[in-house]
Amino acid sequence: MSLLSVRGISKRFGGLTAVDDVSFEVFEGTIKALIGPNGAGKSTLFNLLTGFERPDAGSVSFGGTALGGKRPHEVVRVGLARTFQNTQLFEEMTGAENVLVGMHPTMRTGFMAGALRLPSTRAEERDARERVGHLLRLVGADQYADTPAADVPHGVRRLLEIARALATSPRLLLLDEPAAGLNNAETRTLATCLRRIRDDGITILVVEHDMGLVMDVSEEIVVLDRGRKIAEGPPLLIQKDAAVIEAYLGEEAVYA
Amino acid sequence: MARFLTPRILGRALPVVACGVLFLVPMLTDDRYLFKVLTFVGLNVIVIAGLALLFGFAGQISLGHAAFVGIGAYTCGYLTAARGVPWIVAVIAGTVLAGVGGFLLAIPSLRLKGHYLAMATLGFNEIMSVLFVELRPVTGGNDGLRGIPFASIGAWKIDTPAGNYLLVWGVAVVVLLLTANIIRTRPGRAMRALHGSELGALASGVDTGRLKTEVFALSAGIAGLAGALYASSVGFISPSTFSLEFSVLLIAMVVIGGAGSLAGPVAACALLTLLPYADALIPGLSKELIALIQDWEADISGFVMILVLLFAPGGLAALGRRLGGTSARGAGGVQ
Repeated sequence: MSLLSVRGISKRFGGLTAVDDVSFEVFEGTIKALIGPNGAGKSTLFNLLTGFERPDAGSVSFGGTALGGKRPHEVVRVGLARTFQNTQLFEEMTGAENVLVGMHPTMRTGFMAGALRLPSTRAEERDARERVGHLLRLVGADQYADTPAADVPHGVRRLLEIARALATSPRLLLLDEPAAGLNNAETRTLATCLRRIRDDGITILVVEHDMGLVMDVSEEIVVLDRGRKIAEGPPLLIQKDAAVIEAYLGEEAVYA
Repeated sequence: MARFLTPRILGRALPVVACGVLFLVPMLTDDRYLFKVLTFVGLNVIVIAGLALLFGFAGQISLGHAAFVGIGAYTCGYLTAARGVPWIVAVIAGTVLAGVGGFLLAIPSLRLKGHYLAMATLGFNEIMSVLFVELRPVTGGNDGLRGIPFASIGAWKIDTPAGNYLLVWGVAVVVLLLTANIIRTRPGRAMRALHGSELGALASGVDTGRLKTEVFALSAGIAGLAGALYASSVGFISPSTFSLEFSVLLIAMVVIGGAGSLAGPVAACALLTLLPYADALIPGLSKELIALIQDWEADISGFVMILVLLFAPGGLAALGRRLGGTSARGAGGVQ
């Protein structure tokens, strides 16, 4: 069943069309990858899906409801959680606290209840901290629970952001270049982690440059080039697709 | 013995000991001047608790907090002195009105960050300073508002310096406790998240726009509460008290105390408030020295703030943690 369906979405910045009439579907329980050369519009597309940018045309529907006009924090509450290409952690807060912030939409304590530390608040805090411990173990970052995010190694920062996104109880997880800056061992850990999340019933859409990871974990791939979708299909077919090879070789020819 | 004095235990024990000393003071002395000075410290501590939430934790600057103190003070003063409204009602009115003022200022300021937010709130303080002078029928203009009655609940009147001292510090301790609780729970974490990365907070489902207005209103309301208590404990208010200069001093207290801390700004607040009244605490200081300090008060706090920004960006809170030997930077709560 299609969980996310993107129809004819476009975004222009001045004279540049960053995303040009892109359509695709993400099926429930799968890992789908979004690839393409630099400047293909991948991050813009992510921003359109999560409410950080407004599309100029097209529509996005998630689990049957339209996402048009929803603001970022509302999109999260519907069940789409994201990470960022440049990690957006709360540097002064510990690993556990970072993930606790992700519990924000599912918790209830307001200013009044928090100020008085009502019994319901304490119970909620306890439950939330327990779940955070579970999430940190799931992504393999539990040893950094009490370390300020600023002092956490780069690879773990990405895992913390994934744990924070998972804390919002999403149905769809959008990961923006989770393997960027990771070494081989860390990338393998990440791949295991992504499969584990998928097996927990969470659908994943991932933007990634690391072809090894993409071919390894994804069931379907969408290829963007200069804002347009140029190919879509399973990894083995994408690897042989003439338009895709052209897009990537073309880029290398320019940047070599 | 020494091994029991871990930072954690010290962190819990210090506030309790501080409270104990505070409430013992009236039994040890009946020096009216000392009570007056310590009452000012308590009033500023209340304002600082709210400003630390807004600026130190949520990262939203306000150079208009003196104006909120003024709104609370004039509301309470006018209602009790000119309208005969019961004190407790007037205090609540002052608190709520300042909170509403903060809410209304926050809405247009939502789009502003950093310097621009500083300018907008600075402008608000200037506008209110003019209004405090020009709304003569309510505020008494430049002459100020006189004859504001002491705090009273029913027939019980708090009209001694010691009584006012206890009232103000009682409220201050409650405000600090509630603030510390907020910091430790969901709304406080959302505030610190907003400070750390607004994008990250949005992606975690925090409605940052709403959070900013809520914190602004709460912080302004707390400032209004301090203002209302100030009016009834001093009995006379005039516009110059609620000037931009006071707003800047309040921000200096939070900066010197350290962002992301409650104890640091409270300590800085006590030090900076006591500075011009050093003679009340340290007997035997020469009159010339006190006069010198009073003349240079603003310069001293400004100079200290620059030093802190350059050499100890974490402020007193970070220094305290370094002395305590902990690295619990993210421990939140009452550090």
